[in-house]
Amino acid sequence: MITNKYDVIGKGLPRIDGLVKVTGEAKFVSDIKLPGILCGKILRSRLPHARILNINTSKAEHMLGVKAVITAKDTLKKTFCINMRMANNLLLQNEKVRYVGDQIAAVAAVDEEIALEALSLIEVDYEELPAFFDPFEAVIPGKPKIHKEENNIALSISRSFGDIEKGFNESNIVLEDEFYSPPVAHCCLEPRGCVASVDASGSLTVWATTQTPHPLREELSGVLGLPMIKIRVIQQFMGGGFGSRMGMDPIDGITCLLSLKTGKPVRIVNTRDEEFLSSRIRYPMWIWLKTGVKRNGRLHARQVKIITDNGAYSMEGDTVMGNALSKVAQLYNIPNAKYEGKLVYTNNVYGGACRGYGNPQITYAMEIQMDKIAEALNMDAAEIRLLNANEPDSVTISGLQIGSCGLKDCIREVVDASGWAQKRGRLSDHKSSVRRGIGMANMIHGGSGVKFFWGDNCNFSAATIKFNSDGTADVFTGSAELGQGSNTVLAMIAAEECGLMIEDINITNGDTLVTPPCRGAWASRQTFTAGLAVQLACKDAKRQLFEVASYLLEANQDDLVAKNRKIFVKGNPSKFIAIAEAASEAFFNSGVPIIGRGINDDPWSFKPDSKTGYGNINSAYAFATQAAEVEVDMETGCVTVLNMYCAHDLGRAINPLLAECQIEGGVLSMGIGYALTEKLIIENGEVKNRNFADYKILTMADICNVHTILVETVDSKGPFGAKGVGEPAMIPTAAAIANAIYDAVGVWVYDLPITPEKILKTINNKQRVLRR
Amino acid sequence: MAKRTIRIHINHEEMEYSVDNKITLLDLLRDVLNLTGTKKGCDMGECGACTVILDGKAVNSCLILAVDAEGSEVETIEGIREGSSLDPLQVSFIENGAVQCGFCTPGMIMSAKALLRRNPNPNSEEIKIALAGNLCRCGGYNMILKSIRSLIKE
Repeated sequence: MITNKYDVIGKGLPRIDGLVKVTGEAKFVSDIKLPGILCGKILRSRLPHARILNINTSKAEHMLGVKAVITAKDTLKKTFCINMRMANNLLLQNEKVRYVGDQIAAVAAVDEEIALEALSLIEVDYEELPAFFDPFEAVIPGKPKIHKEENNIALSISRSFGDIEKGFNESNIVLEDEFYSPPVAHCCLEPRGCVASVDASGSLTVWATTQTPHPLREELSGVLGLPMIKIRVIQQFMGGGFGSRMGMDPIDGITCLLSLKTGKPVRIVNTRDEEFLSSRIRYPMWIWLKTGVKRNGRLHARQVKIITDNGAYSMEGDTVMGNALSKVAQLYNIPNAKYEGKLVYTNNVYGGACRGYGNPQITYAMEIQMDKIAEALNMDAAEIRLLNANEPDSVTISGLQIGSCGLKDCIREVVDASGWAQKRGRLSDHKSSVRRGIGMANMIHGGSGVKFFWGDNCNFSAATIKFNSDGTADVFTGSAELGQGSNTVLAMIAAEECGLMIEDINITNGDTLVTPPCRGAWASRQTFTAGLAVQLACKDAKRQLFEVASYLLEANQDDLVAKNRKIFVKGNPSKFIAIAEAASEAFFNSGVPIIGRGINDDPWSFKPDSKTGYGNINSAYAFATQAAEVEVDMETGCVTVLNMYCAHDLGRAINPLLAECQIEGGVLSMGIGYALTEKLIIENGEVKNRNFADYKILTMADICNVHTILVETVDSKGPFGAKGVGEPAMIPTAAAIANAIYDAVGVWVYDLPITPEKILKTINNKQRVLRR
Repeated sequence: MAKRTIRIHINHEEMEYSVDNKITLLDLLRDVLNLTGTKKGCDMGECGACTVILDGKAVNSCLILAVDAEGSEVETIEGIREGSSLDPLQVSFIENGAVQCGFCTPGMIMSAKALLRRNPNPNSEEIKIALAGNLCRCGGYNMILKSIRSLIKE
C-alpha cells in the first residue's frame, strides 16, 4: 500500500449523488414529466427474416388519441453504427426485417393503451425469407444473404506476430481446445428509454439513457439531418449501462422523429420483455484456442480462431471480436501469436458492447488452458502465471506499450489472501459427494479507451472549470455517469488539483449544450481520460489563481502551492491567502474571472496498423487476478461460490470505496452469473427467456464474500496514477470459477454457463483426474 | 374507461382519487401522484424496483391494482425521511457504498425498512432472504447488506 500524501484522493468518500438517489429524487428518463407528453411505442417484427412488401398504417392513424404513425418513408433512411464503414442498421426498416424484434413502425399517442392498440392496427405484408440462427450455417456458400456480404461474413481478420508454426514446433507441449460463450443480456435494471421534445424553433432536447451523450448528438444529427446546434442531448441519471447504452439505439432516433412530427414531447421506454427481446447482447463466440509451451513453463506460441455471431446488424462486432482476438498476443509474455476471426451475420438479435468487450469470452478460454498447461507440466497454477506475467515498462509482440503493471503483485496478493497453498488440490474430501476447490485467473484490459471508434484518432475528453467569487468551482465535463461513480471521482480529482475540498466542487456532466465534448463512458476510460481532462482544466485555472495570488503574497508563482483551501508559498504555509480571496480578487479587482480549460487528446495510444495489427492501442493497461473458492455437489451438479479473492491493479484508487463497489458489483452482479447461470435462449431467432424468472441473474440470496485487494502501481500517465477498473471487475471471474470447479471435481466445462446439467454430464463422461 | 374513487393513505397523508380500475398502485404513485422515486423495472413483480410498504409489508406495487389498495397505508421512498432528516437506512446506504446507479435503491431501502420494523435484529441470512426479491445489477449486494447490518444493535 502506498503512502497517501493527498487530502482528497485516496479516501473512500461517499458519492456526491448518493443523496438524490436514496431519497428517490434522482430523475431517470421514465421519471421526466413534461406537459402533453405522448407515449411512443415501436412495432417490432415477429419474423426473423422477411421482405417488407407493404405497410398500411391508415387504421392506426385514424384512431382517436393517435398523434403520429411513422415508417421508414418518414425517415431519411440513413444507416448508423459506431463504425460507419460497417453501418447497415436503420431507425425503421425499409426493405427487410432481419431479426425478431426489428423495428418497422412507431406510434405516438396520448396514452400507452391507445399506443398499443394502434400498433395492433398496423398491417404489414411480408414475404418470409430463409433465416439463419447459426453462423456455421450462414457462411455456407450459396446460402441467401442477410445483407450484401458474400457468405454473410461481415468481416474477416487475420493477424500474425512472430512465427507461429515455428513457435508450435519449438514447444514441448501443445494444447488445443474449443470453447463457447453464449448470448448474454446486460439486464440493466432500468429499461432503455428516451424522451424527446421539439420546440417552436425546431430544436430538439433529448433526455437519453446513454453512455455517450456527445456522440449520440452526432449520430442523431446524422440520421435526422439536423445540424448539431439543433440537438441537445442530456444524459439523465441512468439505471445501468454496461456497454448496452454506448452509441445510438433506434429508440433514440425514433423518439426524436415522433416529436418532430407531432410537435410534442414523446417518451418511449422499453418494456422488460422488449428489453430482453431486442436490446443488443454480448456477442456469442465460438473459440478455438491452441497454446504451445516449453517444458520450463514459458508460453511459446498461441493461436486462436473465433467465429462471432454478429446478429442481424452491425454494431460493434468488429472491435469486440478484434479485442478478443488480440488478447492472445497481450496477456502474458509470449513470442509467437496468431489470430483469425470471422464475424458472421445471422438473423439473431445483434450484439453490442458488453462489459469486457470480448475479453471475458477469450479470457475464459485462455485461462482455462493456463490451468491445463500447469497440470500437464506438474506446475502450480499460480507459479506458471507468475512465470509468464507481463512486466512493467515492457512491449508485447503486438506493440502494446505496457507502463505500470502489477500483475505479479495481483497474483501474489491473491495467493496470500486466499490461502492458496493450503487449499489448492487439498480441499476435496473424496469420500464426500460435496467437493471444494480453488482456482484462479488473470486478465489484461485497456484502462483508458482507444482511438479507433468514430475515426482514426479520436479518444479525447474535454473539461472546463469556472471558479466562483467565493472560491467554490463549477466543473463541466462531457463524461457520462452511469452509476459507476465517475462524477464523484472527477470531483475528487478537481478538489485535489485545486487544493479544495470535495464539497467545494460542483460537477455538471453529459449535457451537450453546456459541457465540452467527451467520447463517453466505455472501455473503462472515464477515470483516466476525463480525469486527465479535469486535471488539465484545474491546472489551467490554478495557474490563473497563482497569478493573482503571487502579487497578493508578493511571491513567485512557481513557488506557490494550493492545499486545504489556501494558497501559500512552498515550505512556508503561514504565508497564505484563502483560495476564496484569490478568486474574489480575480473577479472584483482584476476583473478577470478564473476559467480553466483542459483537453486530454490521449497522445500515447494509436490505432493499430491496418495490415499488421501492431500498435499501442491504450495509454494504460489494467491487470487483475481473481481466485474463486467453490463447492460442487456431485449429485446435483450445483455449484456454490463460497469466496472470491480479487486483486486489481488500477493504478491509483482515487476513491477506494467506489473501486471496491465496482469490483464487487462486477463479480457478484455479473461475473458469477456469466459463469454459472446466464444465457439467452434463442429459438428460431426469438429470445425465449424474456423475464427475470427465466433469465437468471444473482440475487442477494446467492452472494458470497468478496475479498478485494487494490493494487496501486501509480501509472505515470493517469490522473494521480489512476487507470480503469469498471470492466476488469468481471473479466476473469468465470475462468477462475471454472478452474476452481476443476480443482474440486476434476472436470472442465468449456461452454458457458456452467450449469449443473453440464457438470453432471461431464463428470459422467470423463475420467476423474487423480489427486497427487 | 371505468373509474372508481378510492381513499388511500400515502406517506401519512389521506388522499382521495378517482382512478382507472385497471391501473396498478405503481402507476398511481408514478403517473398520478408524481411520486417517481418508486421505479418500474419489469412491471411483473420480478425485480423489486417498485417495492413500497403497504400496511406494513414490503410489496411489489406493480402487482397490486390501485383500487385494491383502497383504505391502505402506503409508504414510498419519498415518505420515509422525517422532515429534513434522512432515515438511518438512507444515511447508511450513502456511507457504505450501497448506491451505484440508484435505480434499485428505493426498492432496496423500502424492503430493508419493512424488514427492520418487523425484525429489528435480523442476521445476514434473514436480510438476504428479505431482500432476495430486489435485484441489483451494479452493486453486488454486499455493500447493501453491510449498510443494513450496520444499523442493527447487537
